[in-house]
Amino acid sequence: MKHEIRETGGASVVAFEGDVDLETSPTARKVLLDCVGLKRPMLVDMSAVTYIDSSGVASLVESLQAARKAGLNFALVSVSEAALRVLQLARLDRVFTIHATIEEALEG
Amino acid sequence: MAERESVDTLLSQGGENISDHLELLALMGADFASTRDLETTLANAVDRITRYLDAAGGALFLLDASGGKLRCHACSGATEISGMVIDSDTGIVGRCVQENLGEIVRDVSKDPSFHGGVDAETGFTTRSILCAPMSVKGESIGAIELVNKVGGDGLFAPSDLSVLQGLSSSAALAIVNARQAEALVEQERVKRELELAAEIQRSLLPEIRPEPFPIHGINIPARTVSGDFFDFFEMEDGTICFNLGDVSGKGMNAALLMAKTASLYRCLGKTITSPGKLLGIINREICETSTRGMFVTMVGGHFDPSSGIVRLANAGHEPPLYRDRDGTYTALEAELPPLGIMPMAGPEEDFPETEISLEGGTLYIFTDGVTEGYIDGDETLEVAGLKAMLDANADMPAADRLNAVISRIRKTDRALRDDLTLLAINDAGPARQAVGVGLLRINFRSVASELKSVRKAVKGALEKEGCPASLCADLVLVIDEACQNIIRHAYKGNAEGEITLELRLDGDDLVVLLRDFAETVDVSKIKPRDLEDVRPGGLGTHLIREIMDEVEFAPPPGKSGNLLRMSKTLERGKLDEA
Repeated sequence: MKHEIRETGGASVVAFEGDVDLETSPTARKVLLDCVGLKRPMLVDMSAVTYIDSSGVASLVESLQAARKAGLNFALVSVSEAALRVLQLARLDRVFTIHATIEEALEG
Repeated sequence: MAERESVDTLLSQGGENISDHLELLALMGADFASTRDLETTLANAVDRITRYLDAAGGALFLLDASGGKLRCHACSGATEISGMVIDSDTGIVGRCVQENLGEIVRDVSKDPSFHGGVDAETGFTTRSILCAPMSVKGESIGAIELVNKVGGDGLFAPSDLSVLQGLSSSAALAIVNARQAEALVEQERVKRELELAAEIQRSLLPEIRPEPFPIHGINIPARTVSGDFFDFFEMEDGTICFNLGDVSGKGMNAALLMAKTASLYRCLGKTITSPGKLLGIINREICETSTRGMFVTMVGGHFDPSSGIVRLANAGHEPPLYRDRDGTYTALEAELPPLGIMPMAGPEEDFPETEISLEGGTLYIFTDGVTEGYIDGDETLEVAGLKAMLDANADMPAADRLNAVISRIRKTDRALRDDLTLLAINDAGPARQAVGVGLLRINFRSVASELKSVRKAVKGALEKEGCPASLCADLVLVIDEACQNIIRHAYKGNAEGEITLELRLDGDDLVVLLRDFAETVDVSKIKPRDLEDVRPGGLGTHLIREIMDEVEFAPPPGKSGNLLRMSKTLERGKLDEA
């Protein structure tokens, strides 16, 4: 798994690429929680996530809760088919705000 | 040689004095003690005493095994009567043997016991007789008889009888010793043959197969050879043909009938798949040819490891015990008498069959040597004791369970009263590994870094089967989640744990078997999370249950660890489209 953090339109965009699994999710979790500390709205770009398991999903849930606590917006963007399927199975597709593109997210 | 020469010197002197007698007896006694060829030594002894006491002839008679006949084993002088057989109560020699008393008969014509048969046959004329019994511990085994004193007044003297009695005693001892040695050699030979028979008998038993092979047996003979037997062998259709039998009696005859019955079963069992029919045929065969009064109790059947179903027939044998997964026992009673008791005519010659689905339980078949085996003093194991032992060791592998029962009975000092034979048919239940076609089997360590390659292997195996991409992704997720549970909860982070993953296709069902060797997990504590409660963690179990049709923990085949079995019906139409 690779990740990239950038700032676009006042929001922090975290992009993950590859498999977010038991081996890599601790990294994903740390990256996301560090990002919450930046006190900017957060967008997680999941277009290049080829696989995500429950530990990866758990990192997203934990970050969402931390962001809400800090009064920050938290949304998922361009969720890949593979990742979306897991979120649906976990019934989390309705818990997370999901946008098709970064642009759409920034407009919202 | 020096001794012989000195005996001959004494003979030529025809000595009458006591020291000569003693020397002769000493020398001949030594001869007897050192001989390896008793027949020749006896012949020499008779020849020497005949010459020494100056008789016309001498003969040595021995009682035969029945005690009813006297047979001439060696003779010397006037007539050749070796091999002659007379009734043991005939003549003077007969009387001497019967009364165990030596005698001097100076004129046979005046003795009503004189037989005369030998004279009639040989043309010799017997005038006087000197006869001494050969006896050991008061028991007569024969006699040495001398006839017609040649020198002097032609009459035997009391001192002659003393010398003859001295000789006959040494000869008797030598003969008894030789017979005992012979009996010992014979005993050794019989023992060796028994051991050979036992070896062959052991070779009739099937080879021990390690777990997860479902059938395990043990046979301990009470003596060298056994009247019990068991056998199992795999059929071409994947079922396993098995049997266990007990021949009445425990000796060589039982062992031979055991060999015959076991061979018949093995041979016929390869083509006749109905155990009831098979027992019917074997029954007829044994009834036709068996020794009267011998019979065989037997349980024969087939086990299908893919379904856990046992089909068996019971010919008068101890009821096999079925122990289900919860530990409840059911005894399967016999409906017909043992094999070899009565032939049944017509189509009814088939023995009735019972079918039982083991459902993850175990079927135990055993001989009465087990339930009647002594455990403490006069206390026997009984069926209740057997059940208790099987319960106590339920977590052990089947072979260890059987061994535990055997050692309980063998722990007492008492000799086994009967052969011990036990057979266990272990159904893996939901853990059935032999089901369907194997798609994948991999072993890996309990670390997160292994999971990527596990996913790749699973994906490859499923794609090869034409599994649609979306289902394939779901199944990869499920297996990954299940592996994570093992790594995190069973091995608790121990990276050295071992995990075995097996994928099988059973008809339209994909079966996933995940085995670990960690401490057994308390299944009741594993629950899917409440989805309304949004929080990190605990999702894996939910994902697994969401995707799979069946998820269950099965009793693992070994002592410890866990076996997770999951299945999912793959819709064939979709597979074919793909």
